[in-house]
Amino acid sequence: MTSKLKFLTLESLKRKVKTKWFVIANILIFIVILCLFNIDSIIKLFGGDFNENQVIYVNDKSNQTFEVLKAQNENYTKILDGDEESFELKKTTKTQKEIFADKKNKDAWYLIIDNDADKTIKAKLVSEGYINSYDFAQLNGIVNSTKQSIALSYSNIDPAELAKISENIEIERVILDESKKGEEEGTQMIMSTVFPFIILPFFILSLFLVQMVGAEVNDEKSTRGMEIIISSVSPKVHFFSKVIASNLFVLIQGLLLVIFAGLGLLSRMLLGASSVTEVASANGFDIGKIIDSLLSSDIANNLVYIIPLAVILMLVTFLAYSLLAGVLASMTTNIEDFQQLQTPIMIISLIGYYLAIMAGVFEGSLFIKILAFFPFISAILAPSLLVLGQIGIFEFIIAIIIMVLVVILLIKYGLKIYKVGILNYSSKDLWKKMFKALRGN
Amino acid sequence: MLEVKNIVKYYGDFLAVNDLSFDVKEGEIFGLLGVNGAGKTTTFRMIIGLLEPTSGTVTLDGQKIDYNVTDKIGFLTEERSLLTKMTVKEQAIYYGTLKGMKKEEILSKLDTLLEKFGISNYKDKKIKELSKGNQQKIQFIVSILNDPKLLILDEPFSGLDPFNVELFKKQITEMAEKGSIIIFSSHRMEHVELFCKKLLILKNGKDVLSGNLADIKREYRKKNIIVKGNIDIDKIKNIEGVVSINKKGLEYEIKIADLSVADQVFAVVSKGENITKFSVEEPSLNEIFIAKVGETYD
Repeated sequence: MTSKLKFLTLESLKRKVKTKWFVIANILIFIVILCLFNIDSIIKLFGGDFNENQVIYVNDKSNQTFEVLKAQNENYTKILDGDEESFELKKTTKTQKEIFADKKNKDAWYLIIDNDADKTIKAKLVSEGYINSYDFAQLNGIVNSTKQSIALSYSNIDPAELAKISENIEIERVILDESKKGEEEGTQMIMSTVFPFIILPFFILSLFLVQMVGAEVNDEKSTRGMEIIISSVSPKVHFFSKVIASNLFVLIQGLLLVIFAGLGLLSRMLLGASSVTEVASANGFDIGKIIDSLLSSDIANNLVYIIPLAVILMLVTFLAYSLLAGVLASMTTNIEDFQQLQTPIMIISLIGYYLAIMAGVFEGSLFIKILAFFPFISAILAPSLLVLGQIGIFEFIIAIIIMVLVVILLIKYGLKIYKVGILNYSSKDLWKKMFKALRGN
Repeated sequence: MLEVKNIVKYYGDFLAVNDLSFDVKEGEIFGLLGVNGAGKTTTFRMIIGLLEPTSGTVTLDGQKIDYNVTDKIGFLTEERSLLTKMTVKEQAIYYGTLKGMKKEEILSKLDTLLEKFGISNYKDKKIKELSKGNQQKIQFIVSILNDPKLLILDEPFSGLDPFNVELFKKQITEMAEKGSIIIFSSHRMEHVELFCKKLLILKNGKDVLSGNLADIKREYRKKNIIVKGNIDIDKIKNIEGVVSINKKGLEYEIKIADLSVADQVFAVVSKGENITKFSVEEPSLNEIFIAKVGETYD
């Protein structure tokens, strides 16, 4: 019987892997992953003006403001550590009409500075389109600082004293708990970038898994082939062959995804990402920086236990999914019925996916914490909460134990349903038959 | 020997098979007949171990039929049981391996049988690409790949032309001669009459007629008299025990309630003119079936 289990498992796996569609799908996945890892290079390849600072044409009618304004703009850039966008100021005597007549200036701003009655400055800003409030506030701050500097220069203050007043104050940042340094940023970064890359494949693989088991069982049930099979091997052997084969497939596919990701990373290193890093940084997206930050942050130390625990929970959940899919597939008589029956399970997983994304926003939510123990949701939610520090290892292990118990229950009671369902070709009184099977009648 | 002893099967409160007993020896072809819903499929499923009887036992050579015995069993279902996405070769390897055979053994046997049935060129074709008749041939071939000790054939001639029916008959007879136990179900009574020495007719899960076919026919009281010539129909009709008279071409078929009526019929017929045939014949299995079950098999 062991050799028959082995044969059925390998045969089932062969039907999934030894197809042209599996090869084509993986080639496409590899290309997509390769592109994702080098997305900044690809963006650069197609060109665009995303690397240019906001150009502001300054028409300084006061003849005393432009240089001060430029100095204030540079000071502001320094305060922001050079990470944020700064303005590129260009002095002009052209009129507004002349500036915007040039098509190259369609995204530029036009700032007119003039003296008011008190010989201090007044300003007017013209743009073709909407200016976002953050940029406007930034420019407003620079112009006001400029006004203050000019006003001070008229107040007969000693130039040395004036220089002291105008000099920027550098606030020294001290973080008492060194271990917390960068942790928050690292955690947020993982939750917003790296973790979706892990959760999403898990979610997709679990969908694959359920669909595969259902399709295969229903394919054999669509003819009386199932009678021939079950007359040769026990339903138990048949059930486990499907479960093992689908889980092996998911492991193979998961491994391929990891290999593709590794190749993606390698391609990035070989392509010399540094040439494009500035471009990406300017747009707030830099994969190299994400990886460097991740490795240098303290969160990397925690990943040493977070990753194995998450992998264990995910594997147990895959097992539970395949068992459940097998039981549901045995109850249905065609793939359409199966798809309807598996929809609620998939919705539960989807809830887990969204909750994992929201976990960072609703930090400390008891509701989300409780759901982290809920079977099927836990595989997505518990690792997210562990990364965020909202649950500890102990709670995580409880989530694994609950999932293991679900697997044991699915084997014990699911197999009873499977034995009856697998040879049932009628949807009449289906639930009645299943409950009777559970009672062992 | 296959021994079915007092098997009963309930589905909830519904009694599907009611105290059924029979045995089939090596080399025998046994007919299991009944209208749709009579309990044939349930009986087949109990014999091959797919269903556990509520009570009673099924044994093959004294051994309960379980997964230690199923490798010796071949089963051809009434409906298609092939996995249509597979090629003929893949299908044979799949079912053959499940019957405990080695790949080389399966392929060698498959080649022999494909050649015998004249479809060697279909070996690498997908099953869904084959015609209904050829699919039935493949279904039959994969059911006998393992040289089964017990072969269950549920409507084996479905979708076959007369030429292929002959091929099937030849193969089934060969297997019986080699000692296989064959249980056979068909809507075609002429096939059952030709093949089966023993049979059992099921009605509502109960055995209404069983035994040796020749004995059944002999013991069946109603007989048919075939007469060719000019006879006095009215006189014959008036004889007590004559059930009906039908003209079939140049012949008359006179159904009589008992063999003792034949003498009185003969006395009337002998006074007729140009009598070239007077023959007392056994009733057909179809007639017996209708008489016992109350409806036609189809």
